Amino acid sequence: MQFRERLLLTLRAVRTVLDEPGIMVAGSQVPNLLEPGARASLVVSQDVDIVVPVDKHEAVRQRLSTLVGLVPSAEEPSVWLPECPELIEVNFIGMDSGERAGETYVLEHAELPLLVFGNLCFLRLGKPIEIDGLVVPVPRPAGLLVEKLLTDRTGEKGDRDLLVVMGLLLVAQPPDLEELDLLYRSLTPEQRYFVLSNLSILSLLEPRSQMPDPVPHRAQLAQLMARLERLEPA
Amino acid sequence: MTAAQRERVRRMSERALIRSWEYRQRAHAKGAWFRLRRVLVDAARAFAISDIDADRLEANGQRPLVVGRELSPAKRIFFVSQAQLRDIGARELPVRLTELMRCSAIALLAHEPSAARDGLGSEDRSPGPALGRSVGDKSK
Repeated sequence: MQFRERLLLTLRAVRTVLDEPGIMVAGSQVPNLLEPGARASLVVSQDVDIVVPVDKHEAVRQRLSTLVGLVPSAEEPSVWLPECPELIEVNFIGMDSGERAGETYVLEHAELPLLVFGNLCFLRLGKPIEIDGLVVPVPRPAGLLVEKLLTDRTGEKGDRDLLVVMGLLLVAQPPDLEELDLLYRSLTPEQRYFVLSNLSILSLLEPRSQMPDPVPHRAQLAQLMARLERLEPA
Repeated sequence: MTAAQRERVRRMSERALIRSWEYRQRAHAKGAWFRLRRVLVDAARAFAISDIDADRLEANGQRPLVVGRELSPAKRIFFVSQAQLRDIGARELPVRLTELMRCSAIALLAHEPSAARDGLGSEDRSPGPALGRSVGDKSK
């Protein structure tokens, strides 16, 4: 079975959770889903991240009992493991856009403890993707770009995550880049530095099999960096 | 909180501390790597040149970029024009740190202004064929 089918079957399996307003799919599967026909040809890990805003935690928890084919991991209950090879792992992660926005912490809960990632606070619900009748809520590209460019990355996974940023940039529309400008302005100087630093790493990455190739787009990356640098306070 | 989550939060806090430390060093020696990458971002092509050609460029008034002197051993890095490049024996290399760090003198050609015309987020890019050309993508 192709990875695309497994990804879509898994998203169908968690449909009741995705139906909860405010829930979205994030992470590296978003550019996979954005490929024509959700081709999912990028080489990323075999799991899908589902972002749960902390104020939706209880609503999501109630819906978990309806999931079929997935069970929580004993070691890490925020990860739901497939009971059959047709599905992939589901990773529930927390997002706090409220008082603790930007903070990474654990939302304690016996059934569904969530690791709340500080950088997810930049995500805003975007236009959902419709694939074969399945509606998948995804974040707007600008927030996802900032989140990916701020998250610490190392090694092969880190490089591939940055190539996912390349993929997102290639689907970005002018309003997305304008939103990126606004988000960039809202960052602390340290965060802005790391956005630029990661973009510079992306620009120099060598091509990887079945990942977006940054080499033909290096001039555009240089232009984007210059654009962001112009937003720096004098 | 599970042990795994506790450990993950601990590692993330540790990384955040290291990142802040790196940021505070941005104007110092360790910041040279970002400054070097930033220079290379603006280069469309890179060439290894001989020390003799580097001397010649300097003799003709071309000043090597400061960031090259921040490394040890120091490297002479120049942005050159196409015309200057024609006059020197240059071997093209990928614009990547690993390859360029083996050279003592480097000539860089900047991106042509037209190369970025179809910028990211350009109006004529349809949202559908999303990811451009993937390496090894046989469907293209």
